[in-house]
Amino acid sequence: MADPAPPVIDDETLRAYLAESLSGAEMARVERALRGSASLRQRLEDVRQDRPESAIHTLGAIWRRARLSCPAREDLGSYLIEALDPDHHDYITFHVEVVECPFCRANLDDLRGQFAADAPTSQTRQRRYFQSSRHLLSGDDD
Amino acid sequence: MAASEADMLLIAQIREGDMRAWQVLIERYEGRLLAFVDSRLHDRATSEDVVQETFIGFLTSLPNFDDRRDLEAYLFSIAAHKLTDQLRRQGRRPIDQFGSDDHGRPLEEVAGPARAASSIARSSERRDAEERLLTEALGQIIQDWQAKGDFARLRCLELLIVKGWANKDVAAHLGLTEQAVASYKFQTISRLKEMARRAGMSLGGLD
Repeated sequence: MADPAPPVIDDETLRAYLAESLSGAEMARVERALRGSASLRQRLEDVRQDRPESAIHTLGAIWRRARLSCPAREDLGSYLIEALDPDHHDYITFHVEVVECPFCRANLDDLRGQFAADAPTSQTRQRRYFQSSRHLLSGDDD
Repeated sequence: MAASEADMLLIAQIREGDMRAWQVLIERYEGRLLAFVDSRLHDRATSEDVVQETFIGFLTSLPNFDDRRDLEAYLFSIAAHKLTDQLRRQGRRPIDQFGSDDHGRPLEEVAGPARAASSIARSSERRDAEERLLTEALGQIIQDWQAKGDFARLRCLELLIVKGWANKDVAAHLGLTEQAVASYKFQTISRLKEMARRAGMSLGGLD
């Protein structure tokens, strides 16, 4: 089946664009539209500044922001080992592949990596993050 | 998603300067943050730098962090802003360069006058109250569908509301009639309005 016509780029889409919560393809589509439209760029600026005329909250924005339908990470782990009932499994496939939730995709990629465990590499990264930020902890007098 | 008790405890320990707790937070979240950032940048080394900036940004913003907020969602939001900064530096986000000196960071991470201005610009208490109500009500409806295994309805509304697809496209994708899609939508909006009415609010704009 052909994909449906892309939805209109409204304030909600622009807000999701600013929050990097669209899929890669959607991000590219919005970027192209912004390049070609001065009025859309102005709308983007209004959304960024949260001006009253663009501040109407929509259900879509709320759903995305609060991640109301995102599966728990435990469910994503069960999904990968195919331990969910088929309906739940199919829903997660839909959420990741059709809705293209970038945060659940990231969780799945991370969990897949953990299953294929490259422990030394991740421990090196984690040490680096820790060392570069520990001075910001309130109780650290070092 | 709401904050988990485990995360709230972890945050409390980090606020007290507990290094082990900070290490645990890094271990728990760095993998998913790296996967998210790298899905955009496709450059592992730069993505690791962005995740590093994310953790530093988190500690910087910690005094203003609301513990009831979902930690994962908050970390992703910081990562998204650090990612946008990186894309700008690389010239990959040329359109998105004008106007803002705080780069739209989460409110907690913006210090000083910029924060005050944002706070003022942030809309009225009414808008915030409506948003809280809608988040709770819609969250409750979605939880009910999930508990009942009513994934058909959840898929339908997710395509309509989150993806912004037209009724006919949703119907074709899910193998439903357009009438069924319209009916799901009507029932959901009616239920939201009823929940709002019971809470003493009017949501006329949802039609």
